[in-house]
Amino acid sequence: MKVTIKSWTGVASWRWIANDENCGICRMSFESTCPECALPGDDCPLVWGVCSHCFHMHCIVKWLNLQPLNKQCPMCRQSWKFNIH
Amino acid sequence: MAEMSLKPKRVEFGEIWNPLSRTVESLITLRAVDRKVWNACFSDVYTLCVAQPEPMADRLYTETKNFLESHVRDMLANKVMAKHDAANANNTNSRPDLLQRYYTTWTEYSQGIQYLHKLYNYLNQQHIKKQKITDTDTMYSNQTSAAGQMEIGELGLNIWRVIMVEYLAEDLVRHILEGIAADRASNGTLDSHRVQVINGVIHSFVEVENYEKVINDVVNNVDNEKTQKPDSLNLKLYQEHFEGPMLEASGAYYMIEANKLLQRCTVSQYLQEVIKILECETKRAEKFLHKTSLPKLRKQCEEKFINDRLGYIYSECRDMVSEERRQDLRNMYIVLKPIQDNLKAELIQTFLEHIKNEGLETVYALKGENIHIAFVENMLKVHHKYQELIADVFENDSLFLSALDKACASVINRRPSERQPCRSAEYVAKYCDTLLKKSKTCEAEIDQKLTNNITIFKYIEDKDVYQKFYSRLLAKRLIHEQSQSMDAEEGMINRLKQACGYEFTNKLHRMFTDISVSTDLNNKFNNHLKDNDIDLGINLSIKVLQAGAWPLGSTQVIPFAVPQEFEKSIKMFEDYYHNLFSGRKLTWLHHMCHGELKLSHLKKSYIVTMQTYQMAIILLFETCDTLSCREIQNTLQLNDETFQKHMQPMIESKLLIANSENLSGDTRIELNFDYTNKRTKFKISSALQKETPQEVEHTINSVDEDRKLFLQAAIVRIMKARKVLKHNALIQEVLSLSKVSFTPNIAMIKKCVESLIDKQYIERTANSGDEYSYMA
Repeated sequence: MKVTIKSWTGVASWRWIANDENCGICRMSFESTCPECALPGDDCPLVWGVCSHCFHMHCIVKWLNLQPLNKQCPMCRQSWKFNIH
Repeated sequence: MAEMSLKPKRVEFGEIWNPLSRTVESLITLRAVDRKVWNACFSDVYTLCVAQPEPMADRLYTETKNFLESHVRDMLANKVMAKHDAANANNTNSRPDLLQRYYTTWTEYSQGIQYLHKLYNYLNQQHIKKQKITDTDTMYSNQTSAAGQMEIGELGLNIWRVIMVEYLAEDLVRHILEGIAADRASNGTLDSHRVQVINGVIHSFVEVENYEKVINDVVNNVDNEKTQKPDSLNLKLYQEHFEGPMLEASGAYYMIEANKLLQRCTVSQYLQEVIKILECETKRAEKFLHKTSLPKLRKQCEEKFINDRLGYIYSECRDMVSEERRQDLRNMYIVLKPIQDNLKAELIQTFLEHIKNEGLETVYALKGENIHIAFVENMLKVHHKYQELIADVFENDSLFLSALDKACASVINRRPSERQPCRSAEYVAKYCDTLLKKSKTCEAEIDQKLTNNITIFKYIEDKDVYQKFYSRLLAKRLIHEQSQSMDAEEGMINRLKQACGYEFTNKLHRMFTDISVSTDLNNKFNNHLKDNDIDLGINLSIKVLQAGAWPLGSTQVIPFAVPQEFEKSIKMFEDYYHNLFSGRKLTWLHHMCHGELKLSHLKKSYIVTMQTYQMAIILLFETCDTLSCREIQNTLQLNDETFQKHMQPMIESKLLIANSENLSGDTRIELNFDYTNKRTKFKISSALQKETPQEVEHTINSVDEDRKLFLQAAIVRIMKARKVLKHNALIQEVLSLSKVSFTPNIAMIKKCVESLIDKQYIERTANSGDEYSYMA
């Protein structure tokens, strides 16, 4: 072997895989937080519905709590189910 | 008089008054009065006041008044005016005696009056005070008040005032002023007895109208001076007869003195003399005058020596400042301190200009690679120097401190020309970078320098530019692990937070957090590998950054075929990551990655640090010794620019040899088997870690974009709250919102308003051209 790799320091960036730039509920960018939070990232995550729509977790939970009976996606009115990968 | 009784009885006035008046005379002339006699007289006053069938208080009052009047007239004629006839008036031998005679008489009389006041206590308390109360009653019913009687103490002093003072005032004041002038002429060495006399005469003008003070001084035997409020005093006589002429005479004297000084002094000497004179005059005022006159005389003194001579005082101001003649400046400050602020403007402005010139001189001649260090440190020197000077010379006067601030701000924010941007923000950020990077400087010193650096930072107007540079340099330090200490990094971010608030450092904090989160992630990943018995053969360390928080530049991905030596490791990590965090997309930033390679094909083996693209290139030589540029590029799918940028340092390091300077197409690249290096561990310098002018320009341009976004957001926020707003009011509010991070130019704000009108966030109000309203 002429050359062997001893170590590698990799740098990667991450962003949300979302079908939109902004949260459909609070209209804030997914890159930033829901209006209640200060720090984006792990503290203010995104969640996806089976219908493929995506929101700040805080926003959709608040929305669902306001719907007494039919818990629907605010974008497509399908019944809301969390999409757990 | 043999028996004492409180019972009112019928009496003959003369029988009682005649002996009583003899005691009164003894009292007023301070002759000894036997205790028995005193007691008897005390009850005589009582007896008269309660006499039947009619009380004789009024008669007693009138008789006493007559007695006192004639007594004072007698004193005036025989004791005060004696030998002071017209013939002798100009005779200097008799001169000092008017004051002396008046003073002696007054001392006796005022003392006597105090005793008399006590003797007449019953009359004062029962007859006159009650009468005063009814007086106030009758005043409302609009009847003419009866006698207008005064308590005996007041009566006595009033008689003195009317008969003695009104008559003598002019002469007395003339003599007093001569006395004060003599004190001035003798440099305050007037003999103390004379001072006492003059002081006594002057104060008699106050005391004669404030009998309560005179009486109480004796009754309570305490000095009421301190507790007595000056405004409760009646100072009419004192002010009219004495204070006015005294101030006038002093003013005239000051003017002459000032003129004399001007003739023989330089400005510097003049200032010294004036300070001395002010001190002497204050002492003199304390020595002679009633305390209410002190500020007035001081004012007069300042007026004549300072306000009226400002032109002269300022005539050498420029030289004093530019030569930093501390003693002179100190004196000038002492002299100018009491006068109005706007009159000091010339000194302050000159001082400001001086600092500014020095600042510009030390900063704008700078050239070379370490310009940022020199910039900050020179500026700090200037700041420190003048801060010290202001403390030493100007007593930390806020006017001067703000001049220092203005001067520093104007030097730091000066643009070299209309077209060129101000680079201070960049310099200051780079200075921090130099400090925070690994170096041999000790931690305490770095900490101190970072703190000092904030001093300069605060003057920067374009704080957003600073932030851009700072975050880019911080990103480099964090990614390339160049930080001297994480504590120092965090300390600096906290300092910035303190200076500019949370918004300003939000992203910096997030970057910082990403690094520690990544460390945890790496540990977890390594444990995961261990648990599953996976050996990647590579020591892997990954940093995962939030795209929004880091200044990663263009997000456009450079095509790159990852060598298969890495691929497995990268795949493992990605799987692990996606399993841990769903809904996230990872993008590898290969231009920021680097690694260590072990080279075994040479005589010695070496450990070399290089960038990922360079690793990929050299890995290709595993199976062969020579390749063409095209082959390499095709295999790795690198574009020309990336290829050349990374190939160049490899050739320069001599690890690889090229048969042409043109690193493209058919140029052959060959592994250099004769390579030697004294070090067994080294690094291929990378083009990327050095800052290019394009990068700087890019940073500055991105600031402009951010500013526009900020301004638009600010305008929308303001308009949403206000609904309707005039143009100027809107501009003002925008300016105050953006103040923390930058000072926008008005044209830019206008452009943002225009674009918001186009986007229909706001509109012009129909009936007014310069008013906007918010469109919901």
